[in-house]
Order: sequence, then C-alpha cells, then structure tokens
Amino acid sequence: MEERRRKNGRWRYIWPLWITLLLHLIAILLFTTGFLLTRTELPYHSHCSDVSTSPCFPSSSNNGSCWTKPSVNRIVIIVLDALRFDFVAPSTFFAEPKPWMDKLQVLKNMSSSRPSSARIFKAIADPPTTSLQRLKGLTTGGLPTFVDVGNSFGAPAIVEDNFINQLFQNGKKVVMMGDDTWTQLFPHHFERSYPYPSFNVKDLHTVDNGCIEHLFPSLYEEDWDVLIAHFLGVDHAGHIFGVDSTPMIEKLEQYNNHLERVIKVLESQAGPEGLHENTLLVVMGDHGQTLNGDHGGGSAEEVETGFFAMSFKEPLNSVPPEFDSYSCQTDLDGKSVCISSMQQLDFAVTMSALLGIPFPYGSIGRINPELYALGAGSRKFDTSQKLPESDVWMKNYANALCINTWQVKRYIDAYSASSAVGFSHDDLSRIASVYAAAENHWLHSTKKLLLDNDGDSDALMPALNWQIDAYFKFLTTVAELARSKWTEFDLNMMGSGIGIMLMSLIFQVFAILRASKQLGVNSSSSSGNSSIVTPSIFTLFLLGIRSCSLLSNSYILEEGKVANFLLSTSGIVALRQSVIKEKLLTESIGFLLLSTVCRFAIEVGLSKQAATSAFMKDYSSWIANIASNLPVWDYTAKFTPMLVLIMLAFWLYKATNCSFFDWPWKYAILGTILCYMLIIVHWITDRDGFGVALMPESIGKSYIPRIVYAISLGQLLLLAYGQLFKRNSLDCKTKLVTKTTAMLSAWSSTVILLSGKQGPIIAFASIVGGYFILRMDNIEEASKDRPGRSFSIMQWSLFATCVFFCSGHWCAFDGLRYGAAFIGFEEFMLVRQAILLAIDTFGFSIILPVFGLPFLVASKYHDNLGRHFIFTQLSQMYTTYGLITAVITTFTILCVTIQRRHLMVWGLFAPKFVFDVFELILTDVLICLASIYYFDQGNDDDLEMKSTDS
Amino acid sequence: MDHREKVSEVTPASKPSAVEAPPPISPSETLTVNLICGLSLALTFWISNSLYSIDLVTDPSLTLFLISIIELPIVILLFSRYRQNRLQCSYLRAVGRGILGVPVGALLNSLGAIALGAPVTFQCLPKTLAWSLMMSLFTTVPASCVLGSSWADWKRIFAHTKPNGSIEYLICLQAHGAVIGGWFGAWPMPLDWERPWQEWPISVSYGTLAGYLVASVASLGFVLAHRSRLQHVKNE
Repeated sequence: MEERRRKNGRWRYIWPLWITLLLHLIAILLFTTGFLLTRTELPYHSHCSDVSTSPCFPSSSNNGSCWTKPSVNRIVIIVLDALRFDFVAPSTFFAEPKPWMDKLQVLKNMSSSRPSSARIFKAIADPPTTSLQRLKGLTTGGLPTFVDVGNSFGAPAIVEDNFINQLFQNGKKVVMMGDDTWTQLFPHHFERSYPYPSFNVKDLHTVDNGCIEHLFPSLYEEDWDVLIAHFLGVDHAGHIFGVDSTPMIEKLEQYNNHLERVIKVLESQAGPEGLHENTLLVVMGDHGQTLNGDHGGGSAEEVETGFFAMSFKEPLNSVPPEFDSYSCQTDLDGKSVCISSMQQLDFAVTMSALLGIPFPYGSIGRINPELYALGAGSRKFDTSQKLPESDVWMKNYANALCINTWQVKRYIDAYSASSAVGFSHDDLSRIASVYAAAENHWLHSTKKLLLDNDGDSDALMPALNWQIDAYFKFLTTVAELARSKWTEFDLNMMGSGIGIMLMSLIFQVFAILRASKQLGVNSSSSSGNSSIVTPSIFTLFLLGIRSCSLLSNSYILEEGKVANFLLSTSGIVALRQSVIKEKLLTESIGFLLLSTVCRFAIEVGLSKQAATSAFMKDYSSWIANIASNLPVWDYTAKFTPMLVLIMLAFWLYKATNCSFFDWPWKYAILGTILCYMLIIVHWITDRDGFGVALMPESIGKSYIPRIVYAISLGQLLLLAYGQLFKRNSLDCKTKLVTKTTAMLSAWSSTVILLSGKQGPIIAFASIVGGYFILRMDNIEEASKDRPGRSFSIMQWSLFATCVFFCSGHWCAFDGLRYGAAFIGFEEFMLVRQAILLAIDTFGFSIILPVFGLPFLVASKYHDNLGRHFIFTQLSQMYTTYGLITAVITTFTILCVTIQRRHLMVWGLFAPKFVFDVFELILTDVLICLASIYYFDQGNDDDLEMKSTDS
Repeated sequence: MDHREKVSEVTPASKPSAVEAPPPISPSETLTVNLICGLSLALTFWISNSLYSIDLVTDPSLTLFLISIIELPIVILLFSRYRQNRLQCSYLRAVGRGILGVPVGALLNSLGAIALGAPVTFQCLPKTLAWSLMMSLFTTVPASCVLGSSWADWKRIFAHTKPNGSIEYLICLQAHGAVIGGWFGAWPMPLDWERPWQEWPISVSYGTLAGYLVASVASLGFVLAHRSRLQHVKNE
C-alpha cells in the first residue's frame, strides 16, 4: 500500500487536471466541427486554354473571349446593399402592402412593359449574409465560410479565382465606385475606383453621393467593360432606423430617381453603334435585411434579395418555356409583372458566360437560363441557319451548360483531392454517376446531332432538352451537397460539445470539493464573521456577471472594460475588508490604483481597436495627444522600458542571492538576466542613428532575438533536467518558490522581447499586481482551516484578462500583432511564426499567470505544513483557475450557439469564440505541464508528510 | 476574529458612556425624514423640469447640480438634529461637520468612479463633479453630521455593516443603497442601444436614486424591526 502510494504520488494530485484537459479537448473538437464550417481555398485559376480538355465546343470567335460566345459587351452592375426582395417586387406579391413597398417603381415598370428584355428576380443568397462574405460569394461563385483555409495572413483580399480576376486576366476593364470593401477584396483589379469608407453606419449619404457623382460621367465613357456601383444607403438606413422608417423610404425614392436616370442614359445610347448597344444593366442586392435592419443570418428576410436585369437590344422572342420558373401577378396599375427566381451562387458563372470569359475555378453555380436569355437578343446569327432563333439559343445554352458542368466537376475533383476534409466517398460517387450519365448522353447523341448542322430539329430538340435536364440535375446535386457542407451548422455536434463541456465543469467542481475534503476543511466554520457576503459567494457573483456579460455583443466589444470594472470592484471589496481588519491598507489602495492605471491602458488599447473596427465609436485618445507633443515624453518613452528592464534584472539578481537557490535554478535565472541585457542591446541597435556603429544591423535585428529564444529554450531544458535529476533537501514550500521564480524568469525574457517596448512595463505591472493579490490574500487570517482562496484566484484571473487588454490585444484577428511574429526572423514559416504569435498574444495573460499561480500557495503559509497539504492546495487552486476559464469559455460557446444567426456572428462572436477556445486549451495544457513541473515525487518529504498526517 | 472583538471593546472605552448611541428616533420620525428627502428629490426634478425645462437626460450636470444644491441644506439640517454626543457637540458644529463631509465624500466617490471606469475627459469633468456631489449627499454627509469624525463609528457602519440604532440603520442602508444602485446603474452603459440615457453619468444617477429610494423604504422596515426587538428585549 505504502509502496503504491509512493509510486503514483504525483498522479494522486494531478489526475483531475489531465482528465479536464481531455474532456475539454473532446468538447471543443465536437463543437468546433459543428460550428466553424471550413472550406479550403484552392489556388488554381481557370484559363482560356483549359476548355480544350472539355468535351464541349469551345468558342470559335477570337475576339478576346474563349469559353462561351459572348453575348453582351458591357455590364453595369449597381449593387444596392441590403436590398430586400419586397423593395423591388410589386406589393401584390405579398400578403399585405407595406409602406416600403412599390418605391422602386422604375424597375417594376420596365419589367412589365418590356417583359422579354427586363426582368425581376428573387435572388436567394447563402448565409452568412454579411457584405464581405456575400461579395466574396458573388464573385467567386462559391459558398464562403467563416474559415476559408488558405486565407492570406491578415489581409482580406480574395486569393481564390473569381469573376473580377477573370475580367482582369482577360483584358476587360472594370470601374468601381462606392463601398470600399471592393477595393479591400480586389486591391489591384480595377481600372479606376472611387472607394468610400463603409465604416460609419450613421452616415447615410456620403457613399451614395460619391457613387452618383462618378456614376453618370462614367456612363458616357468608353474605357470600361464592367462598371460596379455599390450603394450603402439602404443598409445604413436599416441599421440605424429600421426598414419601416422615413429615411428608408426617402432612400428608396432617391434610388428610384437615380435608376430612372441611369436607364434613360443607357437607352439614349443603345442605338446601333452606340456606346451601350450591347449593354446589360443589373440592379441587385448583396443580401436582404430583417425589419430591424439586421443581416448576417439565414432567415428568409435576410437571404431573399431583389435582382433586376435589363438589356437594351432587340430581345429574343422567348425562352423555351420549360426553363422558365416565373410567376406572374398583376400589379397595382393592372399590368402583369413576372418574377423569376435565381440563386446568387449562379451570378458569377452567368455573368462570365454572358461576357464569354472563363468561369471562376471554384464556382459551383449554374448558368441561369432566364438571365442568360436576356443577353441573347440580336446576336448576329449565321444567315445560313435554318433553325428558328430559340433553337439556336438552345444549342448555345446546352453548350454553355456543358462547359459549366465540366468546370464544376473539375473543381469538385480538385477540391476532394487537395483538401484535408473533403467530401465523403459516397457523395463523390453519387456526383460521379450523375455526371457520367450527362456526359455519356452528350458524347454519344447530342454532340453528334449538334455537329450535324443539317440535322432536323425534330431529333435535336428532345435530345437537347434531355441534355439540359441532365446537366441541371448534376449542378443541383453539387450545389445541395456544397450547401450542406459549407453553410449548415451541425446542431447535433454542437449540442454534444456543449454537453461534454458542462460535464467537465461538474467534474471540476467535484475535484475542487474533493480537494477541500482532503484538506479536512470544515466548511461551516469557514465563515466566522457574520457578514452575509462571504468571499466565495462574491467570487461566484463576479464570475456569474463576467460570464453572462459574454452573451451580449456590446459587452464582448468592451470586454476589457468589463473585466477592469470587476477587478476594481473586487479591489474595493478587498479595501473594505482590509479596513475591517485594519491591516494591509497600503496594498489594497495600491491594487486599486493599479487597476485604475490598467483602466486607462485598456482605453488606449480600445482606441487602437476603434481605428480598425467598424463597431467602435471614435474614442479621442487624449493620452496619445499629450505624448506626441513634447520631446520630453519622447525621451521618456524611449528610456523608461530600458530602465524598468534593468530594474527587473537587478531584482532577479538580488533574488538569486538568497541562499536557497540551488544551481540549476540559479543558472536559469542568471540566463534571464543575460537575456534582459541582450534585449536592451537589441532595442538600442534597433533604433537608427543610435548604436548602429557598434555592430552591424543584422546582428542586432535577427541574431539577438534568436539568441534570446535559444537561451529561453535552454533554461526550460535546464529546469526540466533539474526536475528530473536534481534532488535537493529544501523543504517543500521553499522549493516551490524557487521553481516558480525560475520558471517565470525563463519565460519572461521571450515574452518581454515579443511584446516590444511596453513589455517591461507590463511585466512590472504584472509583478506588482500579483504581489498585491498575494498580500491581500493574507487579509483573512492564515490558518489551516480556511478553504481554497477562490477570491484571490478570481482576482488573479481578472487581472490576467485586464493585462491581455492592457497590452493592446483584443479578441479579433486584426487584434493580433503580426509584427511580433517576425521579431528575429525575416521569412515566414507557419509553425514557428504561429508559436511566436501565440506567445506574444497570451504571454502575459495566460503563460505567466498559470506558471505564477504557486506563489499564491507559497505566500500563504509561513510555517511549513508539509508536502501533502501544499500539493493538495496547489492542485485545488489549479482546478479552480481552470474552472474559471472553463466557465467563461462555456458561456462563450453557449453565446455563439444562441447567436449563430446574429448579424455579428462572423464579425464578432466567432473570433471571440476562437480566442476563448484557444485560451481554454492553452490554459489546460499549461496547467498540466505546470502540474508535472511543480508536483515532484519528493521522496525526501515522505517522512515529513507522514508526520504531519498523523 | 479576536481583532474585531478588541475593536468593539476599544470603542466604548475610548469614549466614555456619554457617547452612546445617538438619540433613538421613532419610526414616524424616520418616515418623516425619508419623506422629506424623497419629496425634496421629487421637487428638484419638478423645478428643473418646469423652470429650466431640463432633466437628467438633456442636461445631466445641471440637473445633478440642482439636486445637490437643494438636497444639501435639507440633508445637513435634518441629520444634524440626530447628531451623536449631543452634550459636547452643538447643532451648528454638526452642520459644519456635514459641510466638511461634502468635499471629502465627493472626492472619495469620484475616485471610486474613476477606478471603475468613469470617463476623465475635460468635457466630462462637470458631470463627474456634479454626480459625486450628489453621491456625497447620500453617503458621507449624513454620516458626518451624525457621527462626526469618529473613525471607529464610521468603520462600524460602513465596513462592518453593523449599525446600532435606528438613525444608523438609516445612514448605513441609504449609503449602501446609493452605492450599489450606482454600481448596477453602470451596467447598461456599454450596450449598443444608442439611447441618450446610456451616457455617463445618467444611468448611474438613475441607479443611485433608485438604490437610495429602495434603501430608504427598506430602512423603515429595519427601523420598525429594530424597535420591536428592542421593545421585546425591554419587556423581558
């Protein structure tokens, strides 16, 4: 019995920590697969010559087009952001007329007076219905997900093949005006562009007026093939005032006037040899909006958007009726209006087919027959053709669909070959069989009939019809499959993830209770004072508020301030407690002051966030203003970090002089001091004109950081060695302090280096804050009977969160400091840079707090209480710390589940989710590592333990 | 543990028996005090609304300032009547203590608010000032009128939350109510509802006033309960 106990002595304390890690990993894995839909972006592009590998007829003309015969020369695309379907369609299509309907009269009039050359569509978008994802989807013809793997590091530019890129590659010129999202997505593709900032939701007019200013002159110019004008007024009016509001109706009426003018201008030049002889006008929304003006989710209001297309040439008589999907109603004037339906997915490929350029590589849409027919009018037909116009169109359409099908199949094959999580085998074989059926028919009957020009239409038409049906079937199957894979959350997976997460919470609570029991704490005697609010209840209260605050987007945006508010509250409560006990007043006031300082630092950090984020209000950073004016401040900013770093080094040196630092720990700390000196040298050489003469720039720039990393790694190895082989005779508590100090110092140099100039100051603040928390922990009398100090751990955790925000981070991907990943390295290597970035982001907020937690145990007990007692305490504290993180993450997970159709789910909740999950896993892993490091076998202490036990 | 006992032993020892509790006041008197305070608050709102046609939302600093100006004499004069240690401390002296309590309380409250995240820009300065003046009326001024500078009594009421006697119940509960109400009042501030009342210090002031009024009502109950217990003890 005794033998066994000795053998698994360490595991006795730390097994709950490992089980927690395991549970969390499973839960997160399950939830993430259900929630974060991922798609791999393929780097391939379509080329003109590719089409020769297809079984279809390539375009015979050589006028710059290659895949299909071009049927329009120019396209004017007017995007009205958040254009609801009922803005465009006549009110008779709906159950009851609403004030915002029938405002875009001109579109309705056109489609009723010229039904064959102008048409209204109900375009169905795919969620997420946010502008950026929709523009991406419209131009690539794919289904963008939250995580498009292969995204360029930070920049939002589309790297996938897309419609705009194909235009650019094939010498078509694109002019863009309006929403600046386009220029972010396509930085180099526009001939001319007039971007206007889309951030300010309250500004209804700047973007629209800018658009109007450039739109009309451009319509008279010849230097473009595709013109894109993106108006934001309706979207902004919806966000601010809602759909049922006067500003919205004014906006729609304004648009009606402008559209009328646009059509007039285009029409005036639509004559033979005119500028717009062969121009297609498209008026479309990128997504809809709810009555409150929200969008992002997948409700019918959000995904249904109006789409209007009109050509200015002699129309084709009619599309063969079997491909029409319209429904007609009489409008208020008694005229018949027909509305068809289409998928936004089909936009990119249909436009490409109309212009005759290669289809985007990753497009999975099909060429929409009705939209394609609008461009079909007065094409110069062979006079030798004996077939009627519509049959010629059918032949063309069948061939275009053939190319379409071949291109989609090529993409699906390439995707499953290159992506780690491709389609399942069953799905692929089903697609393959549908494709084979269509392709066989094409090769064996349709192609022959088409080649045989004299063939009579009696045999050709049924074959063509069958062929087109087969292609439709294939394309529909692919689109369905892609939707199920890329746009639908797997609620079962998410639910089971949440379930396991809750189980892990319960497990952690039991582990904490079990540890308390082992400590022999009599819980009833713990609260000797008659105060109603005991520290543990207050801790629960703080944790509850902090967790519940994560359920609202506003609090997530201001999370730093919320954490600081709670930290200050806890400071005030501690101050009150110290007034009661009449001791440690200085520490309490100091802590409160520190949290006030933190608060200002967080505000400066938030102002940085405001510069890049659309959600934040402008925050006048007056501190920055003061700082930039005076040269004194400049020098202070230069030298303070170095002085603080020297101070830290000196402090560490003094610490090593204590007698109980044995050799591995002592050398580890000396290594840190060396690192600090190197960092100072690095900063001096980094600055131009300061110390360049001392050594070549490259050494300072890249070698010193690498040396620092190497020394840190060496220190960790040394500590591991010391842990494995070095036996010292120190008592348990002193050893814990030694080890903790050594561990923290080993990490600190890397973390400080990566954090830059603010590093030493934050490190100093962390040490001071940690010290105050330790000291305040002693306000209550130290005795063996006290239960775990959950209040101090909560403060520790809150302080860590505050430090995260103080150091200029926030929970969004643009909050990552990518510059830190390249300190010491010039070239990009994914794993190395990711590790550096993670250390920079979470160094002060997770790595150091987790490794520093044993101080809380060590500071508490002045007398040596024995190994068993201290280790049980330590494991209990680690479990508590893990529980706090886990509760917060659980609430984030619940929040993204509840808000999965929220407007900001991809902009705000999902990044927060990714950050929190990463924090949780990192915390768990570090806790487990720390547990191996701090809990040693300690045979020497066995005797002592037995004596204390008895 | 023993430390606290020592404190409670020390308090009577340092101040001889003359310093006992302030004169007990009857529930009806408490009710009157509360009513006067509450009515004067309502009066202030009415005045600011009808004379200046402002309220907390449109002009928070002026409204808060008005509240402070009107409440200040009422609170000081009212609570000075219940001063501790009547023999050595004249009414005027209690009034003077109360006036002294205004800047002290304002300073403490504004420091606390800044620690919790109140804005410190120059355009917010008058608002913060007006708000902390009002806070001092609810927290420190009554206490300094009644308790004077007795640190032990202050500690007993505000740190230990162990009021003794009905007037102390009133002071303790109202101060706690105002502070806790203000603390909760800060919660709606970050929400993106874009309402004008979410600005500093409007919602916090509403929270403070609500907390203060709730505490006033609750203190009545406490006073009644305290009294009946006293009577119970006496009867035994």
